[in-house]
Amino acid sequence: MPEGKYCNTTPIGTEEALKELLSDSRGTQYYEEMEQLDVDTDKLAAALKNTCKSRTRTWLSMCARCGLCADSCFLYRVNDCDPTQVPSYKIQTTLGEMVRKNGKVDNEFMRHCMEVAWAQCTCCNRCGQFCPHGIDMGVMFSYLRGLLYAQGFVPWELKIGAGMHRVYRAQMDVTNEDWVETCEWMAEEQEEEWPGLTIPVDKEGADIMYTCNAREPKHYPEDIAEAAILFHIAGENWTVPSEGWEQTSLAMFAGDWEACTMQVKSVYSAMERLRPRRMVGTECGHAHRATVVEGPYWAGRPDGKPPVECLHYVEWVAEALRTGKLKIDPAKRIKEPVTLQDSCNYVRNNGLAMVTREIMSYIVEPGYFIEMTPNKEYNYCCGGGGGFNGIGRFRPQRNKALRTKRDQILATGAKLVIAPCHNCWDAIRDLEEEYEIGIRWSFLKPLLISMVEVPEHLKPKEEEE
Amino acid sequence: MYDFLTGPMLWLSLAVFFGGLAARVVWYVKGLRWNLDRVPYGHLTSTGWLWALKSVIFWLIPFGSRSWRTKPGFAALFFLLHFGLVLVPLFYTGHTMFLKQWLGVSWPAMPAGLADALTILAICAGVLMLLRRYALPEIRIITGPQDLAVMALSLAPLVTGYVAAHQPENYAFWINAHILTGEILLLAAPFTKLAHVALFFCSRMQLGLDYGTKRGGRKGRGLAW
Repeated sequence: MPEGKYCNTTPIGTEEALKELLSDSRGTQYYEEMEQLDVDTDKLAAALKNTCKSRTRTWLSMCARCGLCADSCFLYRVNDCDPTQVPSYKIQTTLGEMVRKNGKVDNEFMRHCMEVAWAQCTCCNRCGQFCPHGIDMGVMFSYLRGLLYAQGFVPWELKIGAGMHRVYRAQMDVTNEDWVETCEWMAEEQEEEWPGLTIPVDKEGADIMYTCNAREPKHYPEDIAEAAILFHIAGENWTVPSEGWEQTSLAMFAGDWEACTMQVKSVYSAMERLRPRRMVGTECGHAHRATVVEGPYWAGRPDGKPPVECLHYVEWVAEALRTGKLKIDPAKRIKEPVTLQDSCNYVRNNGLAMVTREIMSYIVEPGYFIEMTPNKEYNYCCGGGGGFNGIGRFRPQRNKALRTKRDQILATGAKLVIAPCHNCWDAIRDLEEEYEIGIRWSFLKPLLISMVEVPEHLKPKEEEE
Repeated sequence: MYDFLTGPMLWLSLAVFFGGLAARVVWYVKGLRWNLDRVPYGHLTSTGWLWALKSVIFWLIPFGSRSWRTKPGFAALFFLLHFGLVLVPLFYTGHTMFLKQWLGVSWPAMPAGLADALTILAICAGVLMLLRRYALPEIRIITGPQDLAVMALSLAPLVTGYVAAHQPENYAFWINAHILTGEILLLAAPFTKLAHVALFFCSRMQLGLDYGTKRGGRKGRGLAW
């Protein structure tokens, strides 16, 4: 069968198509159809010719097969040092083979590649730091995902995710109207406790344009309220765009580069429309990676810079603490052993390791912050990165992968894990659900609100007195 | 035979070696695409170049990178092999004397005892690296015929050279074998993984630029692998 009803090479372009694909619960029929899906070998050969250039080809051909990448990969280690989990083996038997055969591969090979690309690599890029030749297999797996996506070999949830971005410019079915309403609702909710708090929509020339993760308006609207409260306390001149407010990109996990471009351009047009001084994104790792680190290239910006300076939420928090815009009540600092999850997407891949530690120095009582081992740029993936969290078909593999983080956390002895990244936060929640090690986990926002000093003039007036 | 090997054959080998490697470097650089690699090649800053340099240097220093320190045994074998393969050909007295006669250029040579020691250590390191390939399942699975061939090609000139220097009775045979295996090594370099003698610098610099600009460099995070 060339193309299935659900599993095919056509990206999701309409709400109707999206709903139809969603109706195939768990992708049962989708994966059945995938077994019959033809590989368009000419198209694959053409894609390799046009996009597989000297960097990738050199990486593939010069690999000295020294095996130094093996121990760098948490999936190799957590899977009992299974040799088929060695990064070099994984990339050479998938992308390497595809390139050597110039795209002349069959359906079974492509399905195997799909499993390796999404269940045996989270694109955490740790291996690239350990390779003497500087071969970054995470980068190559991301590239492979793009080739697989274009041929229809992509996990069901990620085809949907990429479709969401194409239809809603958001990773979930949150329309711009829903978004603005949620902001209004959240501002109203806070009226009593925070008089004067607003969530300004589409304010031009603000100091900060705030963007978020669609999960927030969809499932955790209080996160938006918390962001608003902190901006309010800090006295920031900020705004949210009514359009271009979604910073994430499941399209990046799916390898749907066209949808990545659409998504990031929507955020950049909001910047161009509202001309803020800076953009601040929420506590999400891949959102920052997609919009700030990789996004400029998708949007056709060869200098690799977004239209305005962009900060990850942790950068804004560190700055606000440093400049005294946010002041922590020393009595309310964390006084229990606490550890910190380094998100691969903004720590290894955007150099923010010391920024989060600066925050720890303000919010944790000295002596209570315990580092994981390894940490900073060398930290292991939470176990759910790169889309792994969201793929039902690979749930058993994902759950096994979580053991790495479980053991890292257990070794610290901390019962509280600060995870300023949605994916990491989810993975840590899931590992607690799966392995019940008795930990709590948190974003920064609720912690900050619980310990920040509120200036007198922002406190509600006691009317009775 | 000797005259042929040290005459036309030597010129050919050197031409293929340098010409072939230069072609691979040119092809590599011309194939870099800012939009596909997602690295701002056209907007590189001095920080980017500094990182490119660091990326090369820290890996050339024994135990200079975190990866080397994580695997000290392998790193020791690696550096012993490469010291022998790079330093002995360049600074062995026989080679500098030959070069002086041949082209009239010369530079200081290393003591013969040091050259012997480096050669023996490199051969031992190479053999141990081959054994490691088969002893460890995670390396065995990625080992292919080319990896063995490359090691054989690399060790052959060291073995034959050492024997030639220490076996005066069969000197003619061993010196010809030594020159021939050396020339085969030069001829093979551009077409095999031996091309890493040039591409290592390209690939390491590329990742250094990537980290030095896009992935952390702009945030001032100095990461010396």
